[in-house]
Amino acid sequence: MNNQEKHTEDILRQYIDPERIEKAPEGFTSKVMSRIQLEKQPLIVAHSIRRKNLVPLISSAIVILLFAAAFLLPGSESDSMSLPVLKLLKNIESSLPEINLSSMFRPTLPSILMYVIIGIFVLTLFDRALYGIFHREK
Amino acid sequence: MDYKGDIYYIEQIVAGNSNSFSYIVDRHKNKAYNLAFRICGNHEEAEELAQDSFVKAYRSLGGFKMKSSFATWLYRIVYNTAISHVRIKKKGILSLEDFPADATDFIGTNTSEEEADREYRSSLVNFALQKITEEERGLISLYYYDDMSTDEISDITGISKSNIKVKLFRARQKMQEIIEKVEKKKLMYHE
Repeated sequence: MNNQEKHTEDILRQYIDPERIEKAPEGFTSKVMSRIQLEKQPLIVAHSIRRKNLVPLISSAIVILLFAAAFLLPGSESDSMSLPVLKLLKNIESSLPEINLSSMFRPTLPSILMYVIIGIFVLTLFDRALYGIFHREK
Repeated sequence: MDYKGDIYYIEQIVAGNSNSFSYIVDRHKNKAYNLAFRICGNHEEAEELAQDSFVKAYRSLGGFKMKSSFATWLYRIVYNTAISHVRIKKKGILSLEDFPADATDFIGTNTSEEEADREYRSSLVNFALQKITEEERGLISLYYYDDMSTDEISDITGISKSNIKVKLFRARQKMQEIIEKVEKKKLMYHE
């Protein structure tokens, strides 16, 4: 701070008394609270916080379940392929680039599982990115 | 009752106890009101602006990420609300003639001369504040009344630290000129 700046500041300090702040009028808090009671906002606040974490939580749960299934569930190729959904997945799988899962999963589970996990992971990241863009802290 | 800290009450509100917000309002109302008043220069508008700011803060509590302190976040809302309000409703420029030349004009029925002098100085500061821009008023208020550092002011206003120093310097100079002119006028009045 140069001399001129110091001089100017000193003059203002003589006039500005920080103790003398303007106080909120009587009943200020109750007025704010009555406006807030009309808002019925707490539900929205709580809901928005829950909703914020809902997609990542569900995605994480699904990924964990799939991993657990891949490592723990016994089964045979013929049993699992008898389900129509798995047949459909098998068809989709044939059109995707090949990933060798034999080192990671039991051979009885379809290798489409890896694509499902990657897909969930990418969608979760996408969700977080979109949430970050549209719910930025003001 | 002891104040348990902003975070404690925020958690209570988020859990559904909206009445806990009254503790937060009680805690911060004077500083919020003072900042709004320094920027807009009018008690009725300041009350409205400070109330609006608290309601906005309440609505956005879900988006408060606790990266900064709650007070800094709240004052940012007050600052932005007051600045936008004043920008929309630009006032006519006050002339020096609008300010009373004599400190005795500030002596009420029950006030001492000393109290009248303090009142005079306070009114002179408010008068000078109305002659600078709304942004400068906000900076002066945060720096002098709330005794905040340029770092804290930067967090609230979003203006860089170096820019705050420049703007504060200009605001101080302008206010000093106004105060000196009024004081000269006062001397001439007494001669």
